[in-house]
Amino acid sequence: MARVLENIGKEILRKNGIPIPDFLVVGDIKEARIAADKIGYPVVIKALVPTGKRGKATAIKFAESSEEAEKIAEGILHTTVYHFPVELLLVEKKIDTSYELYSSITFDTSRRLPIVIASSAGGIDIEKSVKTQSKKIIKQYVDILEGFHLYKAKEIWSDLGLTGRTLQQATTILWRLYKIFEKYDAYTVEINPLAVTSRGEIVAVSILMGIDDDALFRQPDLSDKVEEGSDRSWRPLTDLEKKMITVDKQESYRGTARYTEMEGGNIGFFCGGGGGSLLAYDALLRFGGRPANYTEFGGNPPEAKVSGIVKGVLSKPGIKGFFMATSITNNTQTDVVASGVVKAFQEMNVDPEKFPIVVRLPGVNDAVAKRIFIEAGIEYYGDEITIEDAAQIMAEKMKKAC
Amino acid sequence: MAIFVDNDSKIVIQGITGREASMVTRHTLAYGTKIVAGVTPGKESQNVEGVPVFDTLKHACQKWELNTSVIYVPPAFAYDAVMEAIGNEIKLILIITERIPRHDVARFLLAAERANCTIVGPNSVGIINPGDRVKLGPIGGDNVERCFIPGEVGVISRSGGQTAECSWMVKRAGFGVSTSVSIGGDPLIGSTPKKNLNMFEQDSKTKAVVLWGEPGTTYEEDAADFIKEGGFTKPLVAYIAGRFVENMPEGTVFGHAAAIIEGDMGRPSSKMEKLRDAGCYVADNFNDIVPLLQEAMAK
Repeated sequence: MARVLENIGKEILRKNGIPIPDFLVVGDIKEARIAADKIGYPVVIKALVPTGKRGKATAIKFAESSEEAEKIAEGILHTTVYHFPVELLLVEKKIDTSYELYSSITFDTSRRLPIVIASSAGGIDIEKSVKTQSKKIIKQYVDILEGFHLYKAKEIWSDLGLTGRTLQQATTILWRLYKIFEKYDAYTVEINPLAVTSRGEIVAVSILMGIDDDALFRQPDLSDKVEEGSDRSWRPLTDLEKKMITVDKQESYRGTARYTEMEGGNIGFFCGGGGGSLLAYDALLRFGGRPANYTEFGGNPPEAKVSGIVKGVLSKPGIKGFFMATSITNNTQTDVVASGVVKAFQEMNVDPEKFPIVVRLPGVNDAVAKRIFIEAGIEYYGDEITIEDAAQIMAEKMKKAC
Repeated sequence: MAIFVDNDSKIVIQGITGREASMVTRHTLAYGTKIVAGVTPGKESQNVEGVPVFDTLKHACQKWELNTSVIYVPPAFAYDAVMEAIGNEIKLILIITERIPRHDVARFLLAAERANCTIVGPNSVGIINPGDRVKLGPIGGDNVERCFIPGEVGVISRSGGQTAECSWMVKRAGFGVSTSVSIGGDPLIGSTPKKNLNMFEQDSKTKAVVLWGEPGTTYEEDAADFIKEGGFTKPLVAYIAGRFVENMPEGTVFGHAAAIIEGDMGRPSSKMEKLRDAGCYVADNFNDIVPLLQEAMAK
C-alpha cells in the first residue's frame, strides 16, 4: 500500500474536476514567503508529510502577512510530524469557510464492499462523530459491480440536510470522488474538510489518499509519484529498507521478503511466513530477546534473494545474534533457503562459534537443509520444537553471550 | 464428512502449466487426489503430469463435469480467471494467487456471492481433507502426513504457514484434522472465519476447531459474535498472533496485508477478550494449544 502526498492527491482532484485551493510546494523559508505573497493572504502553511491528523500535531498554521509566513515556515520546516521529518511545505490559499463537510470512501473488510462515508460535520473531530454515529453521518455500501450512481450521492447529502446549489455541488464532488477511487485503484480516499465557503462554493481543503501497491502495474501515471511499501511503515523508509526493496525486486519475481528496521535491539530477525513471523516476534520479546529488525520471507525465494536479504539483516550496526524461525513450509524449499543463509554468513565473515544463531526451519527438503546448516556449524532445528521453543533458546543464548 | 472438499470434488487447475502449479499438481496427485483437468490459454492438448490441459474452462467443462477450481494465474489475470470459473458454474474456487488488486477482489467476491459460488482466498495455500485424501493447492507440500492426519478437529487460519503449524499442533495433541482451511491473509477474502465456523458446525465429523488469528480486520470479533449468538456450539481453541503490533505506531503493517490496526479496530488483545467472553479456549502462548485442545476434546 502506498500513501500519496497531499500535493499529488490535490492534483488528482483538480484533474478530475474537484475544486481545490491554489497551492505551491516549497522547500525553504524564503520560498515560503515568496509563495505566500504570490498566492495572497491569508494563507495556510502545512507540513507536507504522508499522514493525517496534522492539525492536531500543529503542523497546519495560518499566516496573514509575509513576516508571519516566514516565521511559521521556520517553525514547521525540519520538525518531525508523527515520525516524518518535514522537508517540504505546502502553501495554500486560506479558504473563507462557512462550514465543513466530510467525505471518504474505503473498503469494509466485513462486508467486502466499498463504503462511502459522508458527514455534514467535517473537520478535525470527525473520528469522534463517526464513533458516536450521530445523525450528521451517513455510511453507505456501494454495489461495486453496479458502481456509485449520481442520485445516490444526491440522496446522501440531501439526507444530511443540504439543499440548493450546495447540494448540487456536493453531489458532483462525492460522485467524482468515487470515480477517482475506482480509476486510481485507491484503497482509501478522504476529503476532510470539504469546505463550504461563505460564497457557497465547495472546495476540497485536504485530501488523504492511499493507492493499492498491488495495482501499481496498471497505474503508470502514479508509479513514480508514490513510494511502494510506504504504508507498511510509520516513518520514512530508511536507506537499508529501500535497499532491501531493491534486493527483493531484483532476484526474479519469485518469493518475497519484507524488511523493517526496529529501534535498538541486537538480534537479526529473519522469519518465515506472514503468520509465523508474528508468532516468532511475540515469542522472542516475551523471553526477553531484543530484535533489531523484522524480516519476513516466504513464497519460495531463490538463493540469491535469501543471501542478499540476510546480508542486509546482519549489516545493521549492533547486531550480535541471528534468529531464524519459520512455520513448517508448504512450498518453500528449505534447502535453497539454507544455502542462501549460509552463503550470507560466509560473505559477511560471521563465525557461528562466536555469534549466537538459532535456526528453526522445517518443511520441503528439510533433510538437506539440516545437513547444510550443520556442516556450516549452525544450530538447526526442524519440527522437533515449536517456533516458541526456538525463540526461548535464542533469548537464552543471547543472555549468555552478552 | 468434511467441509469444502471430498471424493465428489471434480478439480480443475486454472494456470496449471506454471512452474509452481506443475509442482503442486505432482504433489497433489502423489497424495492421491484426482485432478481432472487444467486450463492454460494456448496450451490445449498438452498435459501436466498426465492431467489434460485445455485452452478454456468451457472446453474442459464440455468434456468433464467439474465443480472445483484452483486459481494459479498471475495477479493481473486473476480477475478474469475467477470470472471464467464463475461463468462456467464452478461451485468452489480456491485462489492461491497473492497480490491481486483489491478492486478486482471486491468485484469477483460480489459476483461469486450472486452466483452462489464459494471463494476461498485469495492468498490461500489451500484446503485439505485428510480423511478422504483430498487436497487443493500447495498445502502439505511433499510431506502431507507430517502435519495433516485424519481426525476430528477443524483448522481455520489467516496464515498459510500456520495452517500447517496449527494442524501439526493438533497432531502433537494426539488428534487429527477433519478439514484444514487456509483462508488467506488479505483484507478482502471470500471465506471468513465466521463462514467456516458455520460449515464446521454442520459437519458431524468435526468435534472442535482451532483458529489462528492475527491483527487487523474484524474476522475474529465477528466469529466471537457468531458463537455468542449460538451459531457455533463446538469448542473453539484460538490463538491470536502479533500482540507486539499494538505497541507500534498506529497503521504499521507487519506480516500479511490485512494485519493493520486502525484506532481500536483490529487489536489482538480485544480479539482475545471477545473470544474469551464468547466462551472460547484462548491460548496465551502458541504452545498452549496442545493442552487446551486436549481439555476441549475431553469434554
